Amino acid sequence: MKTAKELGLGLCPKCHKVNTMHTEPMQCVRCHGWFYQRNRNSLQYTLAWNIAALLAFIPANLYPIMIIYSLGIGDESTILSGIGQFIDQGLYPIAVIIFTASIIVPLIKIIGLFVLVYKVHTGVRLKPTKHSKIYYMLEFLGPWSMLDVFVVALLVAVVELGFVTSVAAGPAINYFTMTVIFTMIAANSFDPRLLWDKKLKQQNRHAESKGI
Amino acid sequence: MNQLSNNHDIVACHLCDAVFDKPQLKQGQSAKCHRCGSTLVERKVDSINRSFYWSIAGIVLLIPAILLPIMGVTLAKQYHNASLLDCILVLIDRGFFMIATLVFLFAIAVPIVRLFGAFYIAISFKYQRLSSSMLTFFRAYHHLGHWAMLNVFMLGIIVSMYKLIDDTELSVNLGLLSLILWLICTTMASITLDQDYIWETLEQEFTHEDS
Ligand SMILES: [Zn+2]
Ligand SMILES: [Zn+2]
Repeated sequence: MKTAKELGLGLCPKCHKVNTMHTEPMQCVRCHGWFYQRNRNSLQYTLAWNIAALLAFIPANLYPIMIIYSLGIGDESTILSGIGQFIDQGLYPIAVIIFTASIIVPLIKIIGLFVLVYKVHTGVRLKPTKHSKIYYMLEFLGPWSMLDVFVVALLVAVVELGFVTSVAAGPAINYFTMTVIFTMIAANSFDPRLLWDKKLKQQNRHAESKGI
Repeated sequence: MNQLSNNHDIVACHLCDAVFDKPQLKQGQSAKCHRCGSTLVERKVDSINRSFYWSIAGIVLLIPAILLPIMGVTLAKQYHNASLLDCILVLIDRGFFMIATLVFLFAIAVPIVRLFGAFYIAISFKYQRLSSSMLTFFRAYHHLGHWAMLNVFMLGIIVSMYKLIDDTELSVNLGLLSLILWLICTTMASITLDQDYIWETLEQEFTHEDS
């Protein structure tokens, strides 16, 4: 089996047309978009966005995400304390859904991308089949972390009962949104084909040393 | 033009870069990559027609989905309800501009653009009115896919209902039904659209003109 790179070909990321790479970047003959054979500086960009996401994730959990005013008294809740309230009320399925979407998914995404970048960089125990599946999953999960942001947005809009009760969004919502968007950009910057390139390089080097 | 014909009968996997001969597929078949197992190419059944009807249904539902109230709450004899649009207006009113923008983009703007995009593409193919601007257009359409989050918003509605049901009287309105149907229509309109087929047809159409 040959890869497109070995044959001097490149796949257009937008229209999936196989192009012969005369220049780098190359203009796709089909959709006329510009692209590189591999995402440019993929690892650096992924790492940078990932660190930004991790930094934004800290205030996202420390600041209140929602403030409920009833009769003029404000009650602040962070993401975690909001989940705690659901548990207190016995609404376990909802608690699990929010916990998964707002804590587990962002963390898995951030950690997962760090691991992938590390694996491509060092090539330690690299299993491209497994790791590209992980990447695919991370990309799929991304948007679901927006759940809590949407919930707060809806509550702010629906619960508008004047002095009796109203809901306001807390500063954490901005940080949390940033976390989600940064991880999505980080996942987009990562080029899963690098996993296979690295493996191929290792195998070739292995074969060479055996030959000698 | 020689280079172009050279690469006509091969495909490469977008996840692992392996090169294969282009498989000849019938409608409804898909080919998987031998190396990593991801879907290589897919031929969808009756793609243009299906996408056309789903997008028409979506466009019809667009107005009620956005303007009709989704749900309302009653507390201490006060009643208030909100539609998707109210949601954004209230957020702007209270000064949460970033969230208002994002909810607008992910839950309204991107799905609407994708819906009209699918409609425009389907109708152009159905009535053979292809122009070269379609290339750029379809590229932009393809790009937006990641950022359509109407399904996440839907789950958000369900969660907030659970949150409200405990201490208020919650009423579900017609807007929710239209929103669910709208979500189904926008999703189906983009799922049924066959990207490989569209790109190939566009390519054939416009390379003929060039040469
Ligand atoms: Zn292209
Ligand atoms: Zn593959």
